[in-house]
Amino acid sequence: METKEKTRFKHLEKWDSTLSACIRCGYCFEHCPMFKYTGWESDAPRAKIITAFGLLSGELEPTKMAADKIFNCFYCKRCEAACSSGVTLTEVFTDAKKDLVEMGLKGPGTTSVTYLNCARCLVCVKACPHEARFHGEDGIETDPVKCQACGICVEVCPAGAAKIENNFGTGREDLIAESSRFLSTHASAKAIVFACNWSYFPDLQASRLPESETHDKDYEIYVNMCAGRLESQLLMAPFLNKAWGVLVASCPEDECQHKNGNTRAKKMVESLQSTLERVDIDPARLQVVEIPAGDKTLFQAEIDTFIDRLNAMGPIR
Amino acid sequence: MIHQKGIPMKSVDESKLREIFGDNNVKTDPSDLYAFGSDSSVHHAMPWAVVRPDTTEQVQKLMAYANDALIPVIPRGGGSGMCGQTVPIQGGIILDMKRMNRILEINLPDVYCRVEPGVVDDDLNLALKPHGMFYPPTPASSRIATIGGEIANNASGVRSVKYGATRDAVLGMKVVMPNGDLVTLGAHTRVEASGYQLHKLMVGSEGTLGIVVEATLNFVPIPEYRCMGIANFDDLSHAGGAIGAIMSSGATPSMLELVDSVAIKAVNKTMNLGLKEVAASLIFEADGMVKEAVDYEINKMKEICTKHHGSDIKTSYDPKERAKIFMGRKKLFPALSKYDDSLSSTSLADDMAVPYSKMAEMAGKIHEVAEKNNIIMTAYGHCGSGCMHTKILMDTNREDQWASAKKAITEIYEYVRSVNGTTSAEHGIGLSKAESFKMEKADSLRLLQTIKQALDPNNILNPGKLMQAPEDWVTATGLRYAVHN
Ligand SMILES: Cc1cc2nc3c(=O)[nH]c(=O)nc-3n(C[C@H](O)[C@H](O)[C@H](O)COP(=O)(O)OP(=O)(O)OC[C@H]3O[C@@H](n4cnc5c(N)ncnc54)[C@H](O)[C@@H]3O)c2cc1C
Ligand code: SF4
Ligand code: SF4
Ligand code: SF4
Repeated sequence: METKEKTRFKHLEKWDSTLSACIRCGYCFEHCPMFKYTGWESDAPRAKIITAFGLLSGELEPTKMAADKIFNCFYCKRCEAACSSGVTLTEVFTDAKKDLVEMGLKGPGTTSVTYLNCARCLVCVKACPHEARFHGEDGIETDPVKCQACGICVEVCPAGAAKIENNFGTGREDLIAESSRFLSTHASAKAIVFACNWSYFPDLQASRLPESETHDKDYEIYVNMCAGRLESQLLMAPFLNKAWGVLVASCPEDECQHKNGNTRAKKMVESLQSTLERVDIDPARLQVVEIPAGDKTLFQAEIDTFIDRLNAMGPIR
Repeated sequence: MIHQKGIPMKSVDESKLREIFGDNNVKTDPSDLYAFGSDSSVHHAMPWAVVRPDTTEQVQKLMAYANDALIPVIPRGGGSGMCGQTVPIQGGIILDMKRMNRILEINLPDVYCRVEPGVVDDDLNLALKPHGMFYPPTPASSRIATIGGEIANNASGVRSVKYGATRDAVLGMKVVMPNGDLVTLGAHTRVEASGYQLHKLMVGSEGTLGIVVEATLNFVPIPEYRCMGIANFDDLSHAGGAIGAIMSSGATPSMLELVDSVAIKAVNKTMNLGLKEVAASLIFEADGMVKEAVDYEINKMKEICTKHHGSDIKTSYDPKERAKIFMGRKKLFPALSKYDDSLSSTSLADDMAVPYSKMAEMAGKIHEVAEKNNIIMTAYGHCGSGCMHTKILMDTNREDQWASAKKAITEIYEYVRSVNGTTSAEHGIGLSKAESFKMEKADSLRLLQTIKQALDPNNILNPGKLMQAPEDWVTATGLRYAVHN
């Protein structure tokens, strides 16, 4: 029997018994957006827990690749909601990140970075809900332990200098490309739904349905980290691709995981609604709905109502 | 590449793998390999590479290469196996089947569906639901378990008492053999008498005989009515009596589950379900298309429970109430890990089957052995199909607890075999249960090995499992815990 030596993971150390208590059931990867995107089990939450165990026990070398396993996370906490054993995964990740940063392994993973064209206007510093952005020696910097990859800084930065480089499918360009592909390949397509990570826990884990089951779909759901990250170009793009409407799903008032991402989204939608009105498009074709975390029934009901309304309006002429 | 204790370091031709699968579908970094060295069991070992096929041709090419180069290949689905079936104890290439996840056909008139092996069980049921159908063998881990893994482990679940295990639902399959040949086994028909029924042999083969690349599965209509009930018992033997009586009464439960006092406590503690803390509870269910028929079944089970001193008997057709009762059972195994902060829940001797009349005695035996060996063990399970689950709660960092656990397990399996029970009812053998398995199958081990030898002469498919697994699982394989003296 092996006796495993402890290493220099001082912050992670307090999770020792949690790392053994995790039964490795894998229930946590059912809804993980990271796993869904890469499809690699080694990016799923269970693997992150295994990685943390390996780092703590000394079985796994703390390399850039190993650190990325921990840093590549949206902090959406769906894994915690699904965990069978009450493991607070993101708290474990945060402590692992503290140790890794001390060893000089600081991501970036999914955390946001600042490009050279930063104007130092401090808008992002003010907007960051997690006090992760600050004016440091090298200009505007991000604390990789505090950043939760919500993307609000990306949305507010007027210079386009705040970026999340490793988007894993949640970036504006990815979502525009994916939604246009859906609209152009489905004759019956009417709506695009942009949901935040909390409003929608996708049903299908990853399996692909036969064409016969999906060809008459009239909407598709795309998940974004936080509604506060939705940019105007993204929300308007489906209209250029003949969508009848766009629905945004955010957390209810006061329940936003990123302080005010939902109110930001609301304001964004309101301003775009007036733009639509100015070009004679019914503003009701763009709407926000509030969905409590994981409430599938309400989410489906809201989508059905929205589609009914679009059916009454017909396509945009 | 990481060197494994006692295993010769073997080089994998990485460029060959990249040529077959493309750069995006090959992993060789230790951080990835480390994560793929575990499943839901207590074991851990490092593979040499992980590859992710999208097509049958890629699987064939890999097998041709591995067979030639004598490199072990370990197919892997969701990695939720509980006995170390996917842990590469001899190193090798992990063949992650999760990308072959297309539901190919749902054929209603012929009542079958064709799926790729990486399809997740819940996803298949989600696709069948709009057609009023479901795939019944469904294990509790259905949110992560893949059809390929369920076939290889012959998974079953709470409804198997009425609808059978995976073996009963598989009509046919396409399999890539260790040398890369593709064969079609079984048929698309409900019955078949054309020879050896090799598709049934593949079920339960734990990835040691061939790689399933497509499966044809039977499904059944979702019943109109489901009624679930619960009865409490102050004495384990009374619950045991009720089980035998229900199963021999002619009633057809669609579920019959036993939960013991340790398990009830754990569920209450973690899920706040407020179950009454009694010696044992029985959860029973009947389903059907006609309400009167379901009433008849349920009443019969209620009567039997009353006769065997069951109390607080409740039944409900209400989906919400039913879900609440069932949720406790569904989350039970995981809830056990929260029973005591210093203890972890391990799956070791966790799914033996015994004849109905021995269920209660078995549960009592488990408690007795646990007490004697100073560990905590629960007894619960799909008693309608004779399957008893146990979990061992122990301080996994302490070497002496492992010794106690091993002793307890040996004693329990001795009892199981003495009453003509079997080592595994649904989770399979893998590594953890090899010791008892070999004793139970002593007179057919050579036969098993002959079959393996005939199908996989170079012994490259998931070697070191089942009859090839080391008897002493505690010392012979790496454990996933940090064990201290
Ligand atoms: C919390 C929890 C609850 C569980 N409950 C149940 C339960 O109620 N009933 C039950 O039966 N089991 C249960 N299990 C055990 C496990 O989920 C099942 O054994 C399941 O069938 C494994 O599926 P998988 O996709 O995870 O397979 P894996 O664990 O990845 O693999 C299992 C075996 O299948 C082989 N394999 C995988 N894919 C293929 C393929 N395409 N071709 C050939 N071989 C292949 C592997 O080599 C391995 O031997 C539970 C597990 C957990 C963690
Ligand atoms: S927090 Fe979200 S992204 Fe991170 S591991 Fe959990 S489910 Fe995955
Ligand atoms: S769901 Fe919880 S217990 Fe299960 S593998 Fe994930 S972290 Fe571990
Ligand atoms: S706004 Fe969000 S993404 Fe940007 S630094 Fe703060 S936490 Fe990170």
